[in-house]
Amino acid sequence: MVCILSFIVLSITGLFSSTHRELAKEAWGCVWRRVTLRPCTVGFKEKIKGRLVAWLLGRSTLAAKILNRYFELLSWTLVVLTMVSTFWTVRGLYNYYFYGSCNGLNSTGFCVFDPAGENNQVSSLNTQCSDKPQKESDVILSPVPVEEFPTKNAGVKNQVVFIGCYSCDYTRKSYPLIQQLIKETGAQYTFVHFPVKPETKYLSAYAQCIADQNIEQFWKWNDVVFASEKSDIAKPEYIQTLMEKNGIDTKKVLECVNDPKTAETVNRQYNQIKSTHLYGTPTIFFNGRAYVGPKPYRVYRNALRRFLPW
Amino acid sequence: MTPSHNEAFNAHAIHEFSFWFMDLQKLRNDFPLLASPSNKPVMYFDNACMSLKPRAVINAMNQYYEQFPACGGPGRSGHALGARVREAVDQSRQTIARAIGAQHPNEIIFTRNTTESINLVARSFRWNAGDVVLTTDKEHNSNLIPWLNTRRLSNIRHAVIPSLPDNTFDLSAFEQLLKLGSVRLVSVGLVSNLDGVRVPIAEIIKRAHAAGAMVMVDAAQAMLHSPLNVQALGVDFLAFSGHKMLGPTGTGVLYGKRELLENLEPFLLGGDTVSATTYTDFQLLDVPERFEAGLQDYAGIIGLGAAMEYLQSIGWPFIESQDQQMNRIITEGIAHLKGVHMIGPADPALRGGIVAFTIKGMDHHQVAVMLEQMNAILVRSGQHCVHSWFGSRGIPGSVRASVAFYNTVDEAEQFVQAMEKITTLL
Ligand SMILES: Cc1ncc(COP(=O)(O)O)c(C=O)c1O
Repeated sequence: MVCILSFIVLSITGLFSSTHRELAKEAWGCVWRRVTLRPCTVGFKEKIKGRLVAWLLGRSTLAAKILNRYFELLSWTLVVLTMVSTFWTVRGLYNYYFYGSCNGLNSTGFCVFDPAGENNQVSSLNTQCSDKPQKESDVILSPVPVEEFPTKNAGVKNQVVFIGCYSCDYTRKSYPLIQQLIKETGAQYTFVHFPVKPETKYLSAYAQCIADQNIEQFWKWNDVVFASEKSDIAKPEYIQTLMEKNGIDTKKVLECVNDPKTAETVNRQYNQIKSTHLYGTPTIFFNGRAYVGPKPYRVYRNALRRFLPW
Repeated sequence: MTPSHNEAFNAHAIHEFSFWFMDLQKLRNDFPLLASPSNKPVMYFDNACMSLKPRAVINAMNQYYEQFPACGGPGRSGHALGARVREAVDQSRQTIARAIGAQHPNEIIFTRNTTESINLVARSFRWNAGDVVLTTDKEHNSNLIPWLNTRRLSNIRHAVIPSLPDNTFDLSAFEQLLKLGSVRLVSVGLVSNLDGVRVPIAEIIKRAHAAGAMVMVDAAQAMLHSPLNVQALGVDFLAFSGHKMLGPTGTGVLYGKRELLENLEPFLLGGDTVSATTYTDFQLLDVPERFEAGLQDYAGIIGLGAAMEYLQSIGWPFIESQDQQMNRIITEGIAHLKGVHMIGPADPALRGGIVAFTIKGMDHHQVAVMLEQMNAILVRSGQHCVHSWFGSRGIPGSVRASVAFYNTVDEAEQFVQAMEKITTLL
């Protein structure tokens, strides 16, 4: 046990000290002998024990006494702890790489690689009180009538559904990344506006109506809205100017927007989106799996990759 | 007494008066490891394994490398440098012969170490099947395995003389074994590397000779600690290592009475061992050349001569009194500590320069590591190549502190303090 533990520890400290490097080599010899079912030859355990106990003896006789007496037990404990922490570190690295958080997809616990938790921030819907923690696995796409929303590249294998809010910072952060992803992968892409902020709630109807009129013009307009100042897009006059600039038939759109049927549809859709158990924006579904909060690009890219053949 | 003999004894007498004035610090300055302020200070208590080297030895070797790094050996290069090598080697041989009281320098054969010297006898002796070789029960592997191997190769028998309970030599057990007859050779370690105990060599030789047996003395542990006179004792063969007596590493000596050496059958032959060869035969050179095959470690041999001279310049009374003092301080300081069990007789006067012990409840290697870690005290731990003794007693190993004349009272006291601290863990 001691040799395994020493090998792990000394391999790390050996990066900085040549004496530790020597000991690490010895420890490896010892591990290898153990693996091949032979006893260690060099009295390696005694060497390590002697060094540690001597070091402690200079500081606290009691501590040295305890280490001397329970060395085997302590080293077993440390090996188990080392293995457990190694497992968690590897898991954390894996999660961080694939999901942007050490703790797994959309988990908000502390992560050393992302200490500020940037990758899991959301613009919350503080509409309801939840008595249990909100989890990505609870968020489902099925209540959303995807076909009713503006969609690109329909019918291809990978499907991305972006639920965001025009005036929310985190949605604005991930929007350009998703545009890049769609350009790069050609995945099917649906944009769903979910107004978290009241001042841009009116844009749901605009989006709906513009897309109905001319889908290509809609995508252009959508990009411009996200690129505009938050304060500007809260004003319908500004939005109308944007429409004009992009060659959209403003009159027709306004007719549609003012139609009570549109309001009804938008309302229905709003409730349908809410029943996905969505708890913040952006919420992006990759082939039905929700990723909540702005993630690094590699996470989005990996979400569409298949690493295993099955 | 021969003239060389007289000289040695006179030197001995002079030193007896002078050792009181010996300045230990000045003497320590002769040893680069102890003198150089750039060296991390260590307390060196592993002298039984390897002694430190004085500057005189290093200089003598450097002189060879820098001034006459040429071939020695009979019939080799006749030029001036070659002549200087031969001269220096001869001088070394003479110094050693004189120091151990050999009758003639040609009785000195240079080897690599004690092990080689003993093997040379074991391999070259003209054995008869059934010959008995006696060793004690606490021999170094180098004075055990060669005989076990000879038993296999030449059909000899090997018997072990058991020691008394305090690890000292049992003369009556020895006598019993001699009485069984056919004992051809008694090969004993003069001073044990296990516990420092010295065997009563004069008595052993007397009784062995009376029984018609020869005696080979393994003096590896004796040369740094006490004088020895092979003629006065009647030693037949003597083996020792240079590196344990201030000399260069990889140097050793086999002394043998001339007529005995002439009767050995050299087993290592080649360049420098023959005066003439044909395609079918060869003519061996005389002793000692016939045993020194191939080019030799000339620098080492010259350094060994310098070591012997240096050792003699210190004087045995001083050396012996230092050994005794250190051993007494350490023994008295640690023998009563919790868990400590001394190996060998309780009286430090019977254990030369060695203090060996076990600690109940603590591994010997761990103790050695702690001594080094805590106080830079260097000792040896393990079975010290006497596996047979440890194995037969079920003792896993011991800690061994071995002193030399350059150790100080302060070092011995620090050793004791470190041990006091370590044993508080028990
Ligand atoms: C008593 C004794 N004999 C023989 C030897 C072997 O000496 P070397 O290794 O120099 O041949 C030793 C070395 O420790 C020894 O202590």
